[in-house]
Amino acid sequence: MQHLWDACLRRLEQELPAQQFNTWIRPLALDAAASDPGSLTLLAPNRFVLELVRDRFGERIRRFAGEAAPQPVEIHIVLARSPDPAPRPAARTNGHTPPTLERARLNPAFSFESFVAGKANQLARAAALQVAENPGISYNPLFVYGGVGLGKTHLVQAIGNALAAHRPAAKIRYCHAEQYVTDVVRAYQQRSFEEFKRYYHSLDLLLIDDIQFISNKGRTQEEFFYAFNALVEAHKQIVITCDTYPKEIAGMEERLISRFGWGLTVAIEPPELEMRVAIVLKKADAEGVPLSEEIAFFIAKHIRSNVRELEGGLKKVLAFSRFNNRELSLDLAKEALRDILNVASRQITVENIQKTVAEFFKLKLSDMHSKKRSRNVARPRQVAMALAKDLTQMSLPEIGDAFGGRDHTTVLHACRTISTLRKQDQSLNRDYLVLEQVLKG
Amino acid sequence: MMARQLVLAISPPPEPTFENFAPGANAELLARLREMASGALRESVLYLWGERGCGRSHLLQATLRVAMRARLAVRDDVDRLDEAAQIALFNLINEARESGGCVLAAGPCPPAQLALRADVRSRLGWGLVYQVQPLSDAEKAVTLRAEAERRGLRITDEVLWYLLNHVRRDLPSLFAILDELDRKSLERQRPITLPLVRESLRGLDM
Repeated sequence: MQHLWDACLRRLEQELPAQQFNTWIRPLALDAAASDPGSLTLLAPNRFVLELVRDRFGERIRRFAGEAAPQPVEIHIVLARSPDPAPRPAARTNGHTPPTLERARLNPAFSFESFVAGKANQLARAAALQVAENPGISYNPLFVYGGVGLGKTHLVQAIGNALAAHRPAAKIRYCHAEQYVTDVVRAYQQRSFEEFKRYYHSLDLLLIDDIQFISNKGRTQEEFFYAFNALVEAHKQIVITCDTYPKEIAGMEERLISRFGWGLTVAIEPPELEMRVAIVLKKADAEGVPLSEEIAFFIAKHIRSNVRELEGGLKKVLAFSRFNNRELSLDLAKEALRDILNVASRQITVENIQKTVAEFFKLKLSDMHSKKRSRNVARPRQVAMALAKDLTQMSLPEIGDAFGGRDHTTVLHACRTISTLRKQDQSLNRDYLVLEQVLKG
Repeated sequence: MMARQLVLAISPPPEPTFENFAPGANAELLARLREMASGALRESVLYLWGERGCGRSHLLQATLRVAMRARLAVRDDVDRLDEAAQIALFNLINEARESGGCVLAAGPCPPAQLALRADVRSRLGWGLVYQVQPLSDAEKAVTLRAEAERRGLRITDEVLWYLLNHVRRDLPSLFAILDELDRKSLERQRPITLPLVRESLRGLDM
């Protein structure tokens, strides 16, 4: 049947613009074994190509094939058998995942290879790599903290996947803290604490995600404390993630907080622009979609809050392109994301910034306008001014006005001070980044 | 007053379906929801938002109605979820992503602006997010006329545009006025005229 398909290819190549042909048609392969003179079966490398070719070119392929054959030809387009490259966790339940990962509850898509590295996470990544190579020896526990959707889960699962790859016999368990709570409750109800303990204390690597979920849960914290001690004493590795650094977790027992700091505590910060671009490109690649840097840059520039929403933005653009049968372009991306863009530009006002900063530092809103010059009021006010300059289009005199009629040189001074301090004072830098993330949503 | 005709409520609102949703500029969203219902959507989370009366709940119910997949969870008004319900939604989304389920959620604003736990908020923004686009006035006029016809009411262009210029223009508000006009015109045995409309609006305090 190859000659039939070759004839189709020639016609398609003549009729379609080169880019379309190369992007959508060239990746198709003929499944000769499943084809006969009355039907061709084509293999698509991924779902995106599959759906698009079926919707957009299916009819044309059928016509061309019919013209080249003595009889009408049916066209079947199916997914090629190679594993779906998209990080689709559902793949885990389909039986292809090695049993080690199944038991460990690890998603094989979360690897070091698929983790986009950048300034914001290089320290955390380096530490994670070390731990994966020398579990229980280098840093115990490894405590990774940062805002939502910045890749904590990906990173800790990458540790698990890497260890599983080079030590298949290792007993690994990834567990969301919420699941851990559920396990404790079940053990309590079924009076099976011994079994529960035996299981958790026998692990070589425990990856526990979002530890803040066990806040204010006394019994769970107690069990975790025992598990922690048992594992560390036996030189078994523990990796913990959290939305904040240990001392700031509310509702957590002091003895746990202090233990969290025994090993290495590393932050993942929100990704900077270049890194966001790289993330968008990598996700598009995983979907099997060729995406221009220009479009990736546009998405990354406008969605700044976290990686999840970045991924959501990319999906929106791809879905819009598919639905409207239009090729990916900058204009299309703008159109697809217009809801998001409108909202973001409407959202950040100086009042909003003042309110958010005052709440964050537990001040009164009026402190933002007051003449008070004590450090605990003046510093947050400077932070708010710097945020106003970074996040709004207001002029410095306008910002000064909004902060109780201050001179624009005061605003300038505030911006410079904060910029200098952020380089010297980690905790201030972190506060600033958190506020920025809150304001951008 | 004595001669008032008593009116029986015999015109229940129709069940929300895809067919009786005026699509306006929401064709893509409707296509996604149909895919979700049939199990063809690859995405595990779909969040839709829009202002009051834009049809969020209608769409959620319409999707549930025709859903062929067992593992579809629907959460309306996510902005009103308490802490425990938020954690439940958090777990639901994690589970859906892990095992191929689906979560359809709706709220009044985009995920980033929801006053929810940050980890829930970012998860709602992870999948596909659609704003339910409000209908244009012309589309509302068409929809309103169709609804009037369904109830056997005749309304003039004059009345139609008067309504669109004088009351809140979301469809639930407009349909509520149609209800009132329906009732008043039966009661009075009068056709729907501008004076009747004005009187009804006064009664409704709109």
